[in-house]
Amino acid sequence: MSINRKKLGAVLGVMVAIAIAAASTAGAAQQSTPGVTKTSVTIGGTFPLSEPSPPNGASLYKTIAYAEEAYYGYVNAPKNKGGLGGVNGRTINDIILDDQYTPSETFAKTKQLVESDHVFAIVGSLGTATNLATMGYLNNKGVPQALLATGDAYWGLCALKGSAFHPIKNVCTKPKPWTEGWQPDYPGEAQIYAKYILAHVSHPKIGVLYQNDAYGQNYLAGLAQGLGSHYSDIIGYNKKKNSAPDGAYSVGESNAQIGARVGKLEADGANTFVIFATPGSSIAALATEGALHWTPSGGTFLNNVSANRIFMLTAEGSGAHPAGVISSTYIKSQTASQFQNDPAMALGKQIIYATGNAALKHEWDIGDSNLVYGLAVAWTFVDALKHAGNNPTRASFMKALRSLNESGANKNPFVYPGMVVKSSASRTFPMQQLQLEKWDGTTHDWKTFSGIYNSGH
Amino acid sequence: MRRHAPRLGSLAVVAAVLIVLPFVLSSYHTYLAAEVGIFFIAILGLNILTGYTGQISIGHGAFMAIGGYTTAVMSRDHHTNLLVTMLFAFAFSFVVGVLFGLPALRLSGVYLALATFALALSVQYVPLQWSTYLGGSGGVQSSTTEGNVWLYGVSWATAATLFAVAWLLLRGRVGRAFRAVRDSEIAAVASGVEIGIYKTLAFAISAAFCGAAGSLYVMWLNGFAQPQEFAVGLSLSLLVGAAVAGLGSLWGILAGAAFIGLLPQVSASVPVIGNQHGLDVVYGVLVVLVMLVLPEGFAGLLGRLRVFTQGLNRESTAVKLPESSSQ
Amino acid sequence: MLRIRTSEFAIPVALCVAGAIFLLVGSLESTQFARLTVQGVAQGMVYSSLALALVLIYQATHVINFAQGELAMLTTYIAYQLIQWGLSYWEAFAATLVIAFVLGVILQVTVIRPVQHRSVIATVIVTLGLFLLIDGVASWEWGAQLIILPSPFGSTDLSYNVGGVLIEHLWVGTSVVVLLSLAVVWGLFRFTKLGLAMRAAALRPAAAALAGVRVDVMLAIGWGLAAALGAVAGLMAESSNLFLDPGFMQQPLVFAFAAAALGGLESPVGAVVGGIAIGAFQILLTGYVPALGSNLQIPFSFAVILGILLVKPNGLFGRRQVQRV
Repeated sequence: MSINRKKLGAVLGVMVAIAIAAASTAGAAQQSTPGVTKTSVTIGGTFPLSEPSPPNGASLYKTIAYAEEAYYGYVNAPKNKGGLGGVNGRTINDIILDDQYTPSETFAKTKQLVESDHVFAIVGSLGTATNLATMGYLNNKGVPQALLATGDAYWGLCALKGSAFHPIKNVCTKPKPWTEGWQPDYPGEAQIYAKYILAHVSHPKIGVLYQNDAYGQNYLAGLAQGLGSHYSDIIGYNKKKNSAPDGAYSVGESNAQIGARVGKLEADGANTFVIFATPGSSIAALATEGALHWTPSGGTFLNNVSANRIFMLTAEGSGAHPAGVISSTYIKSQTASQFQNDPAMALGKQIIYATGNAALKHEWDIGDSNLVYGLAVAWTFVDALKHAGNNPTRASFMKALRSLNESGANKNPFVYPGMVVKSSASRTFPMQQLQLEKWDGTTHDWKTFSGIYNSGH
Repeated sequence: MRRHAPRLGSLAVVAAVLIVLPFVLSSYHTYLAAEVGIFFIAILGLNILTGYTGQISIGHGAFMAIGGYTTAVMSRDHHTNLLVTMLFAFAFSFVVGVLFGLPALRLSGVYLALATFALALSVQYVPLQWSTYLGGSGGVQSSTTEGNVWLYGVSWATAATLFAVAWLLLRGRVGRAFRAVRDSEIAAVASGVEIGIYKTLAFAISAAFCGAAGSLYVMWLNGFAQPQEFAVGLSLSLLVGAAVAGLGSLWGILAGAAFIGLLPQVSASVPVIGNQHGLDVVYGVLVVLVMLVLPEGFAGLLGRLRVFTQGLNRESTAVKLPESSSQ
Repeated sequence: MLRIRTSEFAIPVALCVAGAIFLLVGSLESTQFARLTVQGVAQGMVYSSLALALVLIYQATHVINFAQGELAMLTTYIAYQLIQWGLSYWEAFAATLVIAFVLGVILQVTVIRPVQHRSVIATVIVTLGLFLLIDGVASWEWGAQLIILPSPFGSTDLSYNVGGVLIEHLWVGTSVVVLLSLAVVWGLFRFTKLGLAMRAAALRPAAAALAGVRVDVMLAIGWGLAAALGAVAGLMAESSNLFLDPGFMQQPLVFAFAAAALGGLESPVGAVVGGIAIGAFQILLTGYVPALGSNLQIPFSFAVILGILLVKPNGLFGRRQVQRV
């Protein structure tokens, strides 16, 4: 009796051990720089390719990853096939993993990229909470956490100075030299809206709908900061807690609940409506505005990550009347008339079409700004990689990332004309400019107006 | 745990494999093996509750959350040694287990399950609401982090220790009382067993085990505790693991832990299906298949194998998991 | 006997009547309240439909079907696909109900029946596996596309003006559709022989078998019916969503569980009442107490339900369980 069990146990134990051992990559070949060979550079990033639970619309951003991939495809293609022939003789291999916008998944997948796939750098990962989860780990290991797809202020404030306006203990006590963002930060964007409201709205009563987490709170704090001594114009604003309860929705609240909040803000007497939400909720908010026939006299402001044309078209289809809604942009648009003959947009179209992915092509045609964003970020990556030298190391790459100078002759073709992507030891936010735009109800597209504003760092 | 000790042979084999593994596996795979150890502890705890007293919980992820946050917060604020934080996590989860177990006495069967489900759902929101202290959606970062081999060693050492603790506990009067509660509450009361105390005790012990597992889980996630790590999916995974394990056999719990810990990783690399959705499909199919083939879990399989080799019929009725008491 | 029965339900019925009066009075007082109430009731109807599906299955087999929401989601995607292939919305709706029924029957026969008699836990785990499986399949097939399923009730700015209150077509439409479905199901159980047979098979399987009822077949039909109810829930839930995403039924499933628990898992009436109550409660809470803290809504809702369960451990409309030794 005991012999049978022992035998069974022994056999099972050995089988398990062999199975795991066989599955394990037998000790990674120690390269001097992980992810870099004579002919290739391997990078990786985590994106919400599918929805978290509960769903919040985050996977709508996955087209960013696909655009980046497409751009690298273009870069990798040999010169005689219309490509760029790689960067300093190396092709770029980009591993995109799905983290479902869930920080523990992000950590697990990032660790896999670093320790199992041995990537050179983590590039373009999306999300605030998600990137926070891996910031400490990547910095401890000396792996670049580059060009993050999020506008949180942490990345810029935490990078070389080691402090953040929204401090999380132990996350930002030390500088994080391996982390860098790219896009204009959320608080900066909110500040621009605040300044515009102060200049154009008399006696503003601002109702703010925002996501009640680090993402939304970042925006709210920026708005309050931009209003200066007039921060109490925000209905229900508590300065100590940085909160405005009526419009503070939790991730996972249904569209009906979002609608109820919008109704409450209207009932509170708001004459200006500001939306700092993720796409699904922003659309619901705009639709409710339409349903209530509410046109706040001071205007409606929308954060630029929700202002993607496809979201706006969906909102219109659901009963919203977003004509006059104000947002901002920092990249070119595939559909706006001012860029009809722009060579960069033509190139972008060619790159996206070259993927052969019908859904992606359609997205380009209807104006999915995520695609242009992805192309722009990928362009910056290639720019930094070029400047990292013929034998790039993680350190030389980070140095290049900290000395970006995409202006003048070396300007990023996908970024809005006149805007620069620049970084240095003192300038840790590479992009600090925004162009205001207003939604045109007849062309069903954004139209820029006013001028380029600085987000003030 | 069967009434008799798992044979020394089985234990020796498992111990040997565990000791050898870090030398054989790559650093990254050692890291993955550590997670299996963590789930082992959690499933062990859940086994005590469900297998031995028949109370079903779909919410023990909540206790993992409590344990995990205890570790992160203590380390962040007081730079406490991580192992010490685990002890606190164990104790604190025990207390919360008592606090939840007492009112839970009023509920039975599926209502208890749904109450625990509600607990699992709600626990995510506690750090979001009390964000100044508990970090909100930004999470809580411990002051120290540890490497892959350390994680492996500590997880499995804890697993072994707690396994011994569980076995000692269940072979005695406590175990008998638990089994009495499971088999027939009415008979137990009639025989003078204080069901209230034992049901609550089972809850508290299982909570404590999950608290320790949660503490290790946060350490495993680079010392970063964040609400979404403890979403409902975690509790559901534990339930799946416990069902795959079946009623308390060492091998069963190992199988259950390996199932929920390793399978998602493996199914992600199956070709053609190598994307996240394919992973879910494969994993889901496997869960369904395992339950169809082994409704009593892995322990049931072993039970039947034993019956086959021994030709005896005794054990086959004992390993069946209890049904809800309202039939 | 009769006396015990009425007193058992006296409190829940009284609560329901009180609740209805509260909503009515509030609606007459304030347009905001009225709007939110109608919206909440419409939302709650979706939960009711799904909760009823859960109760149907639970009553017969004591299994919590974790896959109910995902099944509803899958059938919604099927409806979308049918519309893409040329059917009108309501044609697709009808076809989807039939397809859902068939799917439910198939699932019960292939995957549930083999385990059901052996272990309740194993059956529940199978439904969990189905949850993952169906989610994966739907994501795989449709996840990459950005899908917008047009609402059959038009866009949200179409409203009825009822005495100064703007009631969206969407809410009225949703409520009507769900009520019709519930009425059909009720009629089936109350007035047809099949319904009688199904009730017998659920409540007294042994006796029913002796009386010649094919219990296994009844269970399969029960699953089919539940799947059809789920399809109604999914389609109506989707009509207020903007995008169609594989995870859209996960939150509603949670609230459907809550509704079923609140009403009593063995009580179809309880499930419906519970769903409406939760829907209304949720929306009114959001509209009137946003400062409760959006983070506390779900825990608060559940705390309320748990509180009720502690007083009535088998749900508002549940019967006290008698345990025989």
